Amino acid sequence: MADLIVLATLMTLGYVFGRIAEKRHFKSIIQREQDYQDLLTFSERLPPPGMTAMQAELVGGSVVISVDYFKRVVAGLRSIVGGRIKTYETLLERARREAILRMKESASEKGAQMIINVKLETASISKGRKQQIGSVEVYAYGTALIPSTQHD
Amino acid sequence: MDYENRTIPEGINVSHEHPLKEFAILSIGLGVATIAFIAALSLAAGWLVHFIPFEKELQLADSALFSIVDDGTEADEDEQRVQLYLQELADKLAIAQNLPEEMIITVHYQDSDTINAFATLGGHIVIFRGLLEKLPHENALAMVMAHEIAHIKHRDPLVAAGRGITVGLALTTLAGFGDSALSQQLLGQVGLVTSMGFSREQERDADQAALATLGRHYGHSHGAEVLFEILAADHNEFAPPALLSTHPVSEDRIAAVKRYPASQSENFEFIDLPTDLLKTKAADTDQQRADLSEDTLP
Repeated sequence: MADLIVLATLMTLGYVFGRIAEKRHFKSIIQREQDYQDLLTFSERLPPPGMTAMQAELVGGSVVISVDYFKRVVAGLRSIVGGRIKTYETLLERARREAILRMKESASEKGAQMIINVKLETASISKGRKQQIGSVEVYAYGTALIPSTQHD
Repeated sequence: MDYENRTIPEGINVSHEHPLKEFAILSIGLGVATIAFIAALSLAAGWLVHFIPFEKELQLADSALFSIVDDGTEADEDEQRVQLYLQELADKLAIAQNLPEEMIITVHYQDSDTINAFATLGGHIVIFRGLLEKLPHENALAMVMAHEIAHIKHRDPLVAAGRGITVGLALTTLAGFGDSALSQQLLGQVGLVTSMGFSREQERDADQAALATLGRHYGHSHGAEVLFEILAADHNEFAPPALLSTHPVSEDRIAAVKRYPASQSENFEFIDLPTDLLKTKAADTDQQRADLSEDTLP
């Protein structure tokens, strides 16, 4: 019985706070994505043809987001029967977009015009350790192209 | 050079289904599946225990039980005499009931006010002084005894214990919480489980077998209903409705006794309990007993 009460409490806490945090995060992500709309990102390795010479610099942004207890339980149940783990999908979506945004922020500070060769890396922290809150890290990195006129 | 990063529409990677809905569907679905699985396990356990020889049941009872029953070593002379009398009665009834030879009934007399009696693993029957004091004649006592012997004959305590252990182990294994200590505790409580875990069908079957035994032993089954009247009087304050109770309600059982063919005979007499048997009791208890027999006997 005590086990059940602890479980229910943890799940409620996880659900309430996880839900609030997720709503806020998405709102902030959408807002900032509009702010940085003009800073272009490309997955191409080379800059678009016909560009003037620019300074190149590595930029990156990483984010670590923890799973809340509710998401863990639902994912655990889901893993028994299979299917989309929808609760983790939102988690990774947030992490990816946040990582790209942080990379853009860092590039923007350097006065970059665009970022090419953008790549994403994902790592799960506390992988393989049972009974521990897992969290996910997403790292976005690329080559920022900074107009050389700025450095004249 | 005319490039742009267009805004990607929302909701491609993220589902808009409410997370609680997914949780509800998953937990209810898995809950139903688990209950069905455990019910199947329980039925299988109840069926399989019938293949356990009585000898093994005795060993199990000896190793797992019997902090609840004192074996009479500390009992005084009066108690020993009562126990001896009860044991003799049980042996006679066991013969009347055609109990298989390898099954041994051991009666334990408990000096306690509890109005109860129960059968448990290994052919052990426990009868409390509280109940014995309320019974007006030997026929009613024989009904108690025959009922408990029938449980043992039907292997009901073993079925209950087998089911209890199987379900308990399955639950702890499935849920993942709890550890071996819990399983140990479970095994230790087997005695408790068996004393209350009989189904209504098992109780009804035991009643019928007991009535048949009385018919064979006394030539009639009158007086058996007194037992249920006593139990009904004891539980009146918080009698659960028929559906919730594991024991059939007393009225139903009394009716069943009166319907029974051996209860239809016109000529019958009751056998008294040995008078010196319960002389340790206070006089007012005798008075109670007299009152009760006036009220309830035809």
